[in-house]
Amino acid sequence: MKTFTKLTLATALSLGLGGAAMAEGIFAPNLTYRTGPFAATGIPLMNGQKDYMTMLNERDGGIGGVPINFEECETGYSTEKGVECYERTKANAVVTQPWSTGITLQVLPKTNTDMIPILAPGYGFSPMANGKVFQWAFNPPASYWDGASMIMQHIAGGDMSTLSGKKIALLHLDHPFGKEPIPVLEAMAAEYGFELVLVPVGLKEMQNQSAQWLTIRRERPDNVVMWGWGAMNASAIAEAVKTKYPMDQFYGVWWAGHDADLKQVGEAGTGYKSISWSMPQPDAPVMADIKQHVADTGMTEQEDPNSVFYQRGIVISMILAEGIAAAQAEFGTGEINAEQLRWGLENLDISEARLAELGMTGMVPPFSTSCSNHTGHSGAWMLEWDGEKFVQSGDLLQADRSFIEPLELAQSAEYADANAPWPINEDCE
Amino acid sequence: MELLNKIFVAPFADMVSAPDFLMQVLWEGLVSGVLYALIALGFVLIYRSSRIFNFAQGIMVVFAALTLVGLHEMGVPAWISVALTLGVMFGLAVTVERVVLRPLVGQPDIILFMATIGITLFLIGFGEIIFGGENKQMITADLGIPTGDVVLEPFGGLLILQHIDITAVVVAGLLVLGLLLFLNRTRMGRAIRALGDDHQAALSVGISLQTVWVLVWFIAGIIALVTGIAWGSRAGVSFALEVIAYKALPVLMLGGLESITGAIIGGLMIGMLEKLFEIYWGGPLLGGNTESWFAYVLALIVLLFRPQGLFGEKIIERV
Repeated sequence: MKTFTKLTLATALSLGLGGAAMAEGIFAPNLTYRTGPFAATGIPLMNGQKDYMTMLNERDGGIGGVPINFEECETGYSTEKGVECYERTKANAVVTQPWSTGITLQVLPKTNTDMIPILAPGYGFSPMANGKVFQWAFNPPASYWDGASMIMQHIAGGDMSTLSGKKIALLHLDHPFGKEPIPVLEAMAAEYGFELVLVPVGLKEMQNQSAQWLTIRRERPDNVVMWGWGAMNASAIAEAVKTKYPMDQFYGVWWAGHDADLKQVGEAGTGYKSISWSMPQPDAPVMADIKQHVADTGMTEQEDPNSVFYQRGIVISMILAEGIAAAQAEFGTGEINAEQLRWGLENLDISEARLAELGMTGMVPPFSTSCSNHTGHSGAWMLEWDGEKFVQSGDLLQADRSFIEPLELAQSAEYADANAPWPINEDCE
Repeated sequence: MELLNKIFVAPFADMVSAPDFLMQVLWEGLVSGVLYALIALGFVLIYRSSRIFNFAQGIMVVFAALTLVGLHEMGVPAWISVALTLGVMFGLAVTVERVVLRPLVGQPDIILFMATIGITLFLIGFGEIIFGGENKQMITADLGIPTGDVVLEPFGGLLILQHIDITAVVVAGLLVLGLLLFLNRTRMGRAIRALGDDHQAALSVGISLQTVWVLVWFIAGIIALVTGIAWGSRAGVSFALEVIAYKALPVLMLGGLESITGAIIGGLMIGMLEKLFEIYWGGPLLGGNTESWFAYVLALIVLLFRPQGLFGEKIIERV
């Protein structure tokens, strides 16, 4: 029966979203990747996103009394399919959630004319933080450049001058996502005097990384920073164990901190660290609500509700829901449109008090956005694998904004010039 | 001058100065090569007996590995899961022959090739529905495959040999040996070879096309399972494994589509040469990630001089 349900679901998904736009409520499509080589990352995240929206629909009748039509369009993490999904869903959508830096970069120029906000929490093009230039793009609560800065600060123990003379290897997916931190890391290498060794992993080599780890063995870097996604992460962690690389010198971006990837090596992975702007809180009231309204009624597909990625998916949908609620309050209407949601996402105020009201204290650091700040720059925690699970290691870290901001301004200006005529929000201070 | 040094001097100086590291590179290449060769063997067997280029061989690796892990997750003991997985692969072979191949007998090769693309897409969708897309852990320990490693110190250096990799090389070697014996010494093996040599002649002496097709698809399924266990033990089982299987394409171009020897030697050559190139030339000169294309370039160079591959049959057609 379960298989039959899955078959029916798969058929419905594969038939596309033709009917989605017809359904009532606020249409907030999600461009998911539950299939293909990156599904291991996608499934728990998308389960978390979906379950939070389902919980709001079941518990509150949606947001502001308006149900959320949270349809999924499967991309398999393919940029071409992602653009196709965007085109298919944009007519009635109030938002697009592209779920890949490659798709985000393709869709970015279109959103200016289509006037649909892109919501890319914790991914996409880092200079999107500059809302003056990227009026329709949002990447709260932290950008990849923020993440790179925080990882380097942790490696440096808070004193960046200690990086001088060190060798840092960046093991990255050879894809727009994986290349995203390179500009900021190169700038840091020049500023603080460390050597940056780039070790790319091709999409076809994600599960065959022996050459990359031979390179790491030869280069003997002081630390390895991994910008990995999907199947790449599990392979890299297995190879690191195999080549006896010290796991406490191995760091990952927030998409390289999936419980299942570490469980395969268990004890041997002890010490591996992953920066994370979300923190699982098993006892959070929102988790009890999801259990009551979604899990207990058989509407979830998630098996482990306390995993890092599942709870991060919940935080991501909370950010969207808060944007919708802010827009509803500002414009006095339940059925908001895309332009109104853009205002909502530009005026997020996720304070400690608001997180407590939402039953999500400690699940994400407080942050707020504005017309010039589309990221929020919440900071992040360092998670560490203790052999069985990820645990928090140290206090909340903050990116060095004074270092990153000039780069963001320069690259966003470069992007606007390259895509001229590009509209700039001159009213935004 | 510096470029010439990087191409002709530095790599060899590196090899001489760190021979233990060179041995590690060659070992890793050998392990990859053995696994490429196994996948290529699956292609060759089916091609030899039916002239079908089986595009589904890669997904069969994933499907076999996922079935094994999935059955074990349901509580089935490891070796019974292996037996049941072999049963599933046999069922797949029968189904493919009955539903896909038999109705297409006599159709042009390209139609049969397209049909195997259809099988690939079906298995991807079916596999994802049944097993999900999560990365799964291969049941290495439950199968009794030794984990851990052997650490050697040749030339005062360090050479790490994983037990899993040693097992993969030994098992693959035995499988190839068994296959060669089967093809050369048994009645059914000779029937497969006869069909590969001349379809019409083989049919005229009473060799059953259907039986042979089921058999070769089943053997390809066994190879897929062994490959899936070996790769899965190294990096987990996910649909990303299918992509690795396409590495067998340049192996086939290099070794020749009909040659079992070609598949084995081609696989080993590509496995070792692509590692050597990546470590000593690709990384320092081109920024790395040369494994994505090196094998194809190597195969293309071989095709320029031997269009039939190193061990393929030279076909002469008189007009």
